[in-house]
Amino acid sequence: MEILIYGTINSVALALYALGFALVYGICRLPNFAHGALYVLSGFIAWTMINTFGSNLLVAVVATLLVTGIIGAVIYRLFLIRVRGMEISEIIASYAIALAILEGLRWGGFKGMTYTLPVFIEGSVTIGGISVDYQRILVVVVGAALVAFLWLFTHYTRVGLALRGMAQDERAALMLGIDSDMMAVVAMGMGSMLAAFAAILLLPLGNIVVESGYNVLILAIAVCIVGGIGSWMGAVLAAFLIGFAQILTVVYLGSHYQMMVALLAIILTLILKPSGLFGQQKELEERV
Amino acid sequence: MKTTHGKLMMILVMAVLMGLSGGSALAEKPIVVGCPLSTAFLYGWDAERGVTLAIEEINAQGGVDIAGKKRPFKIEVIDTRDLEPGVPVSEALLAVEKLILDKKADFLIGGPVRSEAALAAMPLLSKYKKVSILTTGALTPKYHAMVAENYDKFKYCFRIHGEAKNLVGEIFANFGDLKAKYGFNNLFIIAQDVSHARGAAEIIKKVATDKGWNVTGLEIYPTGATDFSMGLLKAQKTNTEIINIWMDMPESAILLKQWYDMQIPALPFGSTLAAAEQPGFWDATDGKGEYTLCNVVNAGNAPSNATPWTMKFYDAYTKRWGVEPEGLGTSSSYMAVYALKEAIERAGSLKPDKVVTELEKTDIMGVYGRLRFDPKSHQVIPSTDPKEGAVGSILQWQKGKRVVVYPKSIAMGEIELPPWMGK
Amino acid sequence: MKIGTQQRRQERIDRGIKVRTDGLYALMSWRELAYLIAPRLLLIGGLLLLPLVVPGMYWLRVISIVCIYALLALSFDFLAHYVGLVSLGGAFFVGVGGYLTALLNTGMGISPLVAIPVAAIFGGVICTILLLPCLPLRGVYFAIVTLMYPLFLARVIEALNILGGTDGIMGIDGVPYVWLEQYGIIAMLLLILFGLRRLVNTDLGLVMRAVKDNDQAVRASGMNITHYKALAVFIASSVGCLAGACLVHTYMWAGISTFALDFSVLPIAATVIGGGGTLVGPVLGCLILVPISELLRDFGTLRIVFYSLILLGFIVFRSDGLMIYGQRKYHQFERWTDI
Repeated sequence: MEILIYGTINSVALALYALGFALVYGICRLPNFAHGALYVLSGFIAWTMINTFGSNLLVAVVATLLVTGIIGAVIYRLFLIRVRGMEISEIIASYAIALAILEGLRWGGFKGMTYTLPVFIEGSVTIGGISVDYQRILVVVVGAALVAFLWLFTHYTRVGLALRGMAQDERAALMLGIDSDMMAVVAMGMGSMLAAFAAILLLPLGNIVVESGYNVLILAIAVCIVGGIGSWMGAVLAAFLIGFAQILTVVYLGSHYQMMVALLAIILTLILKPSGLFGQQKELEERV
Repeated sequence: MKTTHGKLMMILVMAVLMGLSGGSALAEKPIVVGCPLSTAFLYGWDAERGVTLAIEEINAQGGVDIAGKKRPFKIEVIDTRDLEPGVPVSEALLAVEKLILDKKADFLIGGPVRSEAALAAMPLLSKYKKVSILTTGALTPKYHAMVAENYDKFKYCFRIHGEAKNLVGEIFANFGDLKAKYGFNNLFIIAQDVSHARGAAEIIKKVATDKGWNVTGLEIYPTGATDFSMGLLKAQKTNTEIINIWMDMPESAILLKQWYDMQIPALPFGSTLAAAEQPGFWDATDGKGEYTLCNVVNAGNAPSNATPWTMKFYDAYTKRWGVEPEGLGTSSSYMAVYALKEAIERAGSLKPDKVVTELEKTDIMGVYGRLRFDPKSHQVIPSTDPKEGAVGSILQWQKGKRVVVYPKSIAMGEIELPPWMGK
Repeated sequence: MKIGTQQRRQERIDRGIKVRTDGLYALMSWRELAYLIAPRLLLIGGLLLLPLVVPGMYWLRVISIVCIYALLALSFDFLAHYVGLVSLGGAFFVGVGGYLTALLNTGMGISPLVAIPVAAIFGGVICTILLLPCLPLRGVYFAIVTLMYPLFLARVIEALNILGGTDGIMGIDGVPYVWLEQYGIIAMLLLILFGLRRLVNTDLGLVMRAVKDNDQAVRASGMNITHYKALAVFIASSVGCLAGACLVHTYMWAGISTFALDFSVLPIAATVIGGGGTLVGPVLGCLILVPISELLRDFGTLRIVFYSLILLGFIVFRSDGLMIYGQRKYHQFERWTDI
């Protein structure tokens, strides 16, 4: 029972980490190594909103989402768009941005372990003899809602359809009059917002520290690779796979193997089936 | 007009002369104290502030008396980044070399902070014959074991704060009390996957079993783990009464919040629980960290009356930095400067070998008790009585305050249990 | 402004001396010989003289670090621009080489002078065998998998508590003579630099470049691409392991942080700044980047911010790098022509 409950929570958390990364990669083909940095940055933005400007939680949440989204879009428009299509340059450039953000935050005094965000609802409930706090339940509910919203968004709105068109075939999308540069900016903005969303939901569970940026990035990569790059449903399924694998490792093998699970998953998936478990087959693009 | 000019000149000359005589200490070449620290982290800036405070105090009193000449201290801090993930230790070593070769540091105080880096720096210290007093971070018993093993090579390395084995002893004293008072018998251990924490956890497990405790589990979490529910549930199911935590990673705050949210009926007894050492911990956890215990290694890092100097230091630090002493390396870094000062004055020179000999003879009534180094291993001699040796300090968070509960000789309160433990 | 560019354009033409020195005729005149040799001599002489002119011991050590990063950058440049395998796993090579030489030295008491080359060769073999399953991968997939290898190995050592666990391996010997340590690594760097430049122009190098440009064509010519890729990985990882081994003996220590991300990122940054695909560029990049990073050290954490902004600026706005720019100015002149 506890495996089921906490496995689900862990999986949804992983999915939240990964959604933004998956979205950006799926649409702009940008391996956004600044994802983890944006996650941490949005945490500190929310913290500043609440503690320095004294705004209430809801306002802070909305503002954080918007600000992070805009920052992401601006980063893309100013820098990353110039190296578009050169994947390795994209990796290095976004990694440089990540370093600049993270170390900049640290220089700006956001260091130590005393920063945290408030939870939305205090208290806990007992399910099947296992106590779970409301925030974690909220994570699962909102996570599920978010996935549903994304699905609806990409299937029923103009922008969403355009994004999906780009993900599937950029040239065809261009011919149909979709401005692919604009869409890429939008996608990056949305990806950053998703990172902020994950941060606001998950950071109250612990504290905001700069170092977690790197871990979030690795977990996001793991989920996306296993799920198949570009496949959002694949990413969600992969999140559950890795999430439960981690929990099971803790229960049956020992907790210190926990971090190896994600890394091993990446390496094995890439070696055996680089397009991921649920990715579309594009054999020739990825291996000889 | 002319007379006023003359008077002015006289005053000026007088002032210059007085300035010269009064400031003669400052005119001498300063003694450079190099601090290789990971300044962006708690265990880095605690030492930086401690050392700075001590140096300012000493310089205000004229400086260090070397064979009749007063020379001031000068601090050179360098960022080693060694606590950051993804940064190789060689970076920290390069920083140490920069301090020694480029900044011409005469002595080193502070780090490197991470055990791995501190150990790796030892051969460098003996290569350049630089006396170094480790004051923060590194808790590995291997450090002074190395000195004892190969004294001639590593005799330049000292450590003035307590180490992991000593912490184990202090913690067991508390376990014993809890057992006697409440009949606790089940112990669960959670450790971070770094060698000193792992080693300490293994020792705790072994000693606990020998002493008749029922060890219900030992979980080792990798650095960066973000979910501890499985470990906590294991603890809950096995009717654990004490959870012993060895963790200095930031995610330990998640562990404590999770502990509170799940209302696990066990006392979280931390050692080197970096998150809980900071005064800001209470706000950071919205008060969920209440009842958490943690070991700040040396007295003076939390308010207590170990020696007359303790509160004097505590208040001076709070006044200087606007925050109470935090982190395990604060009082030790402060005292390291005083220990060094006295050693230099007794040696009457800056020659490393002489200072080493004199440091071995150190005997100060300091902030956290009587400070003496073991002449063989250069580790500060611990004790539970401040009159005998360096005392540790275990605190519990009670109603938003850090209350020292151990050792008894300096305690300000008693250990309290969370209400949901129902005892 | 717009009209101006429509009517005029800039053209680049090879200098006469460059064309003349392409052939054997270069040997006929001192001037042309000098034109050919000057840049090479500048690099060799500069590197050899550097340890004599820098102020203080500390900067000598910085030169060693420059050379270590330059070796890594060379290995990255060779793999990425001549074989088409973009490896983000510099740390993997450093770690394997470092641990091997540490084990050889502490476990069997082999002198560093023997342990370093042995670790380089065997490290190369080990890395190649471990990377063998990933060789068919292309582009970003290969990049990510190589990025994960060092992280994974570090976690393995941490979790299994082998090879000294998180404390690392202690008590490693340093290189016996200071000047040997200093010049040994510079000599090795130059040797490998010019060796690799030779290699990429041989038949073997030709095939490797073909693998990068069109692997299907190479396959169609009846050649086994995996074989060539493996060979290239062996060469590159040996160079990387050599760097790792030198690092370990310089600091007399080996630990899991030899797998740190910095060893993967810094060489790439140097390659970007110096100019990829030139082999000399990465060395130049290291010569600039590492000292800058040392000079910025006084700024504390802000240093990394500056540093990454420089990197970002280069990769976004000047992605061809200094070396290619320099070569262009050296070999060609530019002029405006009317259309």
